[in-house]
Amino acid sequence: MKQLFKLAMVVLIIAIGTSGAWAGENLDRVMNNKVLVASTYGGWPPQSFLNDNKEWDGFDISVAREIAKRLGVKIKFETPEWDILTAGNWHGRWDISVGSMTPTKARAKKLSFPGVYYYTPAGFVVHKDAKYKDKTELNGKRIGATTATVFENYMKKDLVIDAEGAPAFVYDVTTTAKNIKSYKDSNTAFDDLRLGDGVRLDGVLSSVPTIQEAIKNGYPLRIIGAPAFYEPLAVAIDKGDQEFHDKLAAMIKELHADGTLSALSKKWYGVDYTKAAK
Amino acid sequence: MYTDTVIEEKLVHKPKFLGIFLGVVFVILFALNLADTIFGHFLTPVIGDPAQSGLYGRFAVALVLGILFTLNIFAIGFLPTPIQSLVVWLELAVFFVSGFHIFNLSLEFIQSQLWFLLSRGLFTTIYVSAISIVLAFIVAMVGAIAKLSGNGFAHGIASFYTSLFRALPLLLLIYLVYLGLPQMGYVIDAVPAGILALTLNYGAFMTEVFRAGIESIPPGQWEASRSLGFTFGPTMRRIILPQAIPVIIPPTGNSFISMLKDSSLISVIGVWELMFLARTLGQKTFQHMEMLITVAMIYWALTIVMEAIQRRLESHYRTVKVNKA
Repeated sequence: MKQLFKLAMVVLIIAIGTSGAWAGENLDRVMNNKVLVASTYGGWPPQSFLNDNKEWDGFDISVAREIAKRLGVKIKFETPEWDILTAGNWHGRWDISVGSMTPTKARAKKLSFPGVYYYTPAGFVVHKDAKYKDKTELNGKRIGATTATVFENYMKKDLVIDAEGAPAFVYDVTTTAKNIKSYKDSNTAFDDLRLGDGVRLDGVLSSVPTIQEAIKNGYPLRIIGAPAFYEPLAVAIDKGDQEFHDKLAAMIKELHADGTLSALSKKWYGVDYTKAAK
Repeated sequence: MYTDTVIEEKLVHKPKFLGIFLGVVFVILFALNLADTIFGHFLTPVIGDPAQSGLYGRFAVALVLGILFTLNIFAIGFLPTPIQSLVVWLELAVFFVSGFHIFNLSLEFIQSQLWFLLSRGLFTTIYVSAISIVLAFIVAMVGAIAKLSGNGFAHGIASFYTSLFRALPLLLLIYLVYLGLPQMGYVIDAVPAGILALTLNYGAFMTEVFRAGIESIPPGQWEASRSLGFTFGPTMRRIILPQAIPVIIPPTGNSFISMLKDSSLISVIGVWELMFLARTLGQKTFQHMEMLITVAMIYWALTIVMEAIQRRLESHYRTVKVNKA
């Protein structure tokens, strides 16, 4: 019994000892460890997903790799849940999010946004067989959206985007609080919508590139109406490190200016999403 | 299993029972209307186009399936009991697995992902659960002894612990550990946070199991030991626990089986165990149904193995007790 207890204590101490790291100044930590820890999520093709070799791939991933390259450090990806990420207080668990995050006013209280790296349209999608002609016909219907995202905020009429060059928008489609259906990721919402028009959902609000990817993979869906809004998507870091913020801000400007971002956008989306929409 | 010594005619061989059984099955199948399914297509020569066959098709399909099903039951009745159980088991398994047919799964995709699911996902699930169960075992042992000791402090701490951590849902506990500890200044990684949460939760439940196990040792043992001059520590270590541990091990195996599945909850903090990979791998090509079902099958296979080990453990400890007596 004594032996077993000792052994377990050793295991416990090793498990705890090797795992944690005390939070420090973010930029110093990255440069000292020579590793940029980026948070990502596997459920957003074509932004970020695991490719056939089980490696991270996608537009966001490419941008993150480029940032690490220019900082002169290696990159490592972590996979926290989206709502854990947007809650802020990262405590140095990861240094940066290149995860297509919209810099909303609410999020700016918890996180700091060095720069917008592209803009994507958000649109409403319905089942292929649905009779709707325009998105305004979805008023009062059951709309699916991802939890803690701008899409859910839009449906709740609680979307304030805090970024330069973000085009203005109106709330074209409104529905009752009960009819806003929250999902862990957009694919689950598409799964519910594919069951048929009005079976569980009447429509989904999501990012147009993601919707197009789903349609390409055989989902019986159809985008209706003009985009609801354009979301500027930014790199995010934890609050409180101005030096890191400034360094990243300068780098993102550079990435825009030298055409790196446009090239990556064309590679992954087929279109250049890096300019603000008119 | 209890072997009945009274020999009766088998229920499934009584004509009255078979008649009623056939009637009930027929009514259920008729209500389900299976004409336009794979079963109907087998009967196309008799009923014509299944979609057009109407009530007649519905009736014919229900009747044929009902008779087949009843005959199956009747035939199984002739087999000796262990084989009976095996055949029923296999039939249910085939029926269940063939249900996946309707999902139209891509086997190629599953094959291409299987090795990664096993080498990364299953491995993580098992090692996280194994470390947690060892730690929970220790926590539970300490907790149970504390609860049974005459020391008010120890009893207070232990009963507070079981009361609180049996009350918290595991998912909530995982979030609390992962998000809460950093607020207090210690940044914990996802895997240790998951192990800690599983340990605290299972430790609390197992404390109660261990307490019951220790209490199952007759008090005479304790009294005899004390009157021989053993103090609390040696009495526990040398007299009570060696007898209690064989009682405690089988339910611990049971906890381990359920922990293997509860460990899927730590996917929310980004640990790459089976459940996390199930939700991640299929996303690129939108083939997540494939992954979910594959992982369900892996959990099932894992549990079958664990149940076999559990049975061996139980019979092992049972034998030891009998030999000693």
